[in-house]
Parts: sequence; structure tokens; C-alpha cells
Amino acid sequence: MSVSLIIAIVIVIILVFMYNSLVGKKNQVENIFASVDTMLKKRYDLIPNLVASVSKYMEHEKSLLTEVTELRAQANKPHVSDAQKIALDAKMSAALGSLMVAVEEYPDLKANENVMHLQRSLNEVEEQISAARRAYNQAVTDYNNAIEMIPTNFMASAMNYKRKEVFVIPENERKNVNVKELFN
Amino acid sequence: MKSISALTDFYYKELYPKLQELESQRKRVRFRVLLISAFILLFGIILLGTLAKENRIGFEFLVFIGIASVGLIGFIYKYLSADYIQSFKDQIIKPLIYEIDPSLHYLKNNHVNSYQFQASQLFSTPDRLRGNDHIKGVIDSVKIEFSDLHAQKKHKDSKGRTSWSTIFQGLFIISEFPKHFHGKTFILPDSAQKTFGSLLGNWLQSKNFTRGELIKMDDVAFEREFVVYSEDQIEARYLLSTSLMQKILELRHKSAHPLSIAFVGSHIYIAIEYGKDLFEPTFFSSLLDYKIAMEYIKTLNMTIGIVNELKLNQKLWSKK
Repeated sequence: MSVSLIIAIVIVIILVFMYNSLVGKKNQVENIFASVDTMLKKRYDLIPNLVASVSKYMEHEKSLLTEVTELRAQANKPHVSDAQKIALDAKMSAALGSLMVAVEEYPDLKANENVMHLQRSLNEVEEQISAARRAYNQAVTDYNNAIEMIPTNFMASAMNYKRKEVFVIPENERKNVNVKELFN
Repeated sequence: MKSISALTDFYYKELYPKLQELESQRKRVRFRVLLISAFILLFGIILLGTLAKENRIGFEFLVFIGIASVGLIGFIYKYLSADYIQSFKDQIIKPLIYEIDPSLHYLKNNHVNSYQFQASQLFSTPDRLRGNDHIKGVIDSVKIEFSDLHAQKKHKDSKGRTSWSTIFQGLFIISEFPKHFHGKTFILPDSAQKTFGSLLGNWLQSKNFTRGELIKMDDVAFEREFVVYSEDQIEARYLLSTSLMQKILELRHKSAHPLSIAFVGSHIYIAIEYGKDLFEPTFFSSLLDYKIAMEYIKTLNMTIGIVNELKLNQKLWSKK
């Protein structure tokens, strides 16, 4: 009698622990996504100013500037889902990347104090976004592991937890080829 | 920044006359120390011999004689070699540092102060902090300073005897960091994961509450070598970009000694545990020895080169 009671209590404790750790992991993912979102907003806020400062000089990149502005408009619409935010972020990173490459070809722009300041701010935000993305991916990996691994997977399917998608890390962040080393 | 081969040339060409002088000074000092040590030992043996005839030697007396002669030899060595060590630093280490960068300041008897050592929060508060070879300056408009440090803790046993244990001995480097940050982030050598395997090691690491949250980094090689704690996990990843993680790993392999790093209050603190006093002249082997020359040159070149190596001079961020 008492033995079965102890076993029952132990099982309940284990279940509570499993439940709490799953909820903790899910909340961690949501928390970090909120930070990612804040930083993405910070970047979107820089864009109007940036577009205004460079558009006077950049004659041939009008389509690129329109694309950046449009992406920002899409991101600022209400009720954008997390998955859409992730997709928009990837497009925006690519577009801003090509814009920054294009800036390099305009000596006037490179010398402009305002553009230089914007470029530095954008760089900083990009780095922060990249850090937040990596933190998010780690949290999602922990969460996905928990809902697929034994024994928490039974609990997770009972709680109807689904796998979450990670950010795709942009190509230029993934490759760390040291050119110097190649020639050594 | 001079290359290692250029510095080796400088060592063997420009410094050669001074090296030869120092080399003969070293031989003189070594001869004197050995001669005096031989006398002391001989005297001790004769003393023991005469006392043994009279059967008056206890074990404790034997130990006392042993300790006394070792202490005396140590004292004489220190006294005789002081001049040699000072002139080595003035004539070899100082020109070598100025050859790497003439704007640097070198003070052979100074060290990084205790306030800065404690500000890093990498180690516990020492009871005694010694050091020398303080180098300070601005490289690529980044302030950097470093020195040899030996931090010790005092212990008292039940009989009231004091003993000292080492908290840290090696190179301690402080530099400005180009990015803005607010919290504290620590990178420590991963001893738990190496000794206990990844599962138990991870569990042990996560129990280190004093340093903040354990952060799992997304670089497998880096994770194997280090463990990261931070107050803010996004900020930790902001500081430790994928490229900086690789550069820290390269520095770890270059220095070949345990490496701890702290990001505290706009500075980066790097502690490399050599476990010995660096930039000291040799006593028993030749100063012209290639291996010994390379040790001075490589260590100086690596440490002063840290600004470039870790890209601390990058002005891509809004911090000015």
C-alpha cells in the first residue's frame, strides 16, 4: 500500500518536472523572439532615414531602395506572424547587404558624415540581430530536442507542442573563410 | 606590426653585442653562485661530519641544516643575479618592445594594479599581488596594457603557520572593447566538460550560479574548449560573434596555455595562465639559444598583436 503510494508520488513529481521544463523552454523561445522582434524594429526604424540620405546620390539603385522600403512596409503591417517575420528578416538582410555594397561605389556617400553614422548604427543593429537570432536558434533547438526526445516527447504530444522553425543564418555569417590562411 | 622573422633578425643582429655582454655576465654570475653553493654544501657536510662523530645529530637538526643551506643559496642567487636580470630587461626586453611599437611604455618593475585585476572578476580576491614587466600604450587608437602577474592567497593552519597558494600566474591583459555592452560576460577554460564528459560536465557547469547564466555557444570547437557565463544571453552572443569565437580559439592555440576572458564595463580582460614569470633571463642555458629567443619574441608579438588579432581596432560600431 505505502510502496504504491510512494511510487505514485514519485511519478507525479516527475510529471510535474517534465511539464514545467517544457513550459519553461517554450517561454524561453517566446522571450527571445520578443528580443529579436525589438531589434528587427530598431533596424526598420533606421531605414527611412537611410533611404532618404542615400536616394539623392544613388541613381541606378532605385529598385533596390524601393524593395527595402516595401519590405519595411510589409513588416510594419499589423498581425504579421512569427514565421513571416523570419522570412521578411532574411529578405531584408539580403537587400540591405546589397545596398551597403552599392554605397561603396559612391565616394560622395562614403564621405558623408550622416551616411557614415547610419552605416555604423546599421552595422551595430545587424550584429545585435545576428546575436539575437543565434540565441533564438539555440532556444528553439533546446525546445525541439525536448519535444522529440524520450521521455518528454510523450508529455509534449499530450500538450500539443509542435516543432518550431529556426532562423536561417545568412550566408555571409556562416562562412568564416580566412583568406590569409588560404595563401599560407 | 613587425613580423616574427623581422624580430628574430633584430634580436640576433641589433641586439647581438649586448647579448654577448649579457651572456658573459650570465656565466660569471652562474660561476659565482655555483662556487658559493659548493662552499656552503661543503661546509654543511663538514659540520655534519664532525657532529656525527660526537653522535649529536637528531633528524630535526639534519632538516634544519638542509633548509638553511637551501635558503642561503637562494638568497645569494637573488643577490648576485639582480643586476644581471635588470640589465637583461633594459638591454634586451625594452629594445624588443620598442622595435615592435615605439609608442609603447615599458616599466620593468611595475605591474597591472590590483584594482584592475579585481575589476575583471575572473579570480577571487588575492591577499598578495606581485608582478613586473608592465607594458602600456595605444595601438591603432585602442588602449591596451598588460604585465606579468602573480596573485596569491594566504592560508593559516591550526598551528598558526602561514602558507601561500597561487590563484593566478601569467599574463594579464586589459584592452578597450569596440562594442557597447551593459552586463558581464565570462569565458572560462572548460575543465568540467573535459574531465566529466559532456552530460555530467554540462550539469556541473550549469550549477555555477555566481557568474550568471550558462550560455551554450553555437561553435562546437569553441564549446569544447571554453564555457561561457553571462548576465544576458543575447549580449553574450553579440560580444562573441562567430568570428571572434574563432579568433579566441586561435589565440588559445597560439598561447598553448589556459585562457580566461571577461567582458566587464566596456573592457576586455584576458588572463593567460603561464604558471611562471615571463620575460626573465635564463640562468643555466644560453641567451643565444634559438628556442629561448623565440619564447621572448613570440610572447611579446602575440600579446601586443592582440588588438589586431581580435580586431579590437574595428570602428564599425557607433561606439567612439
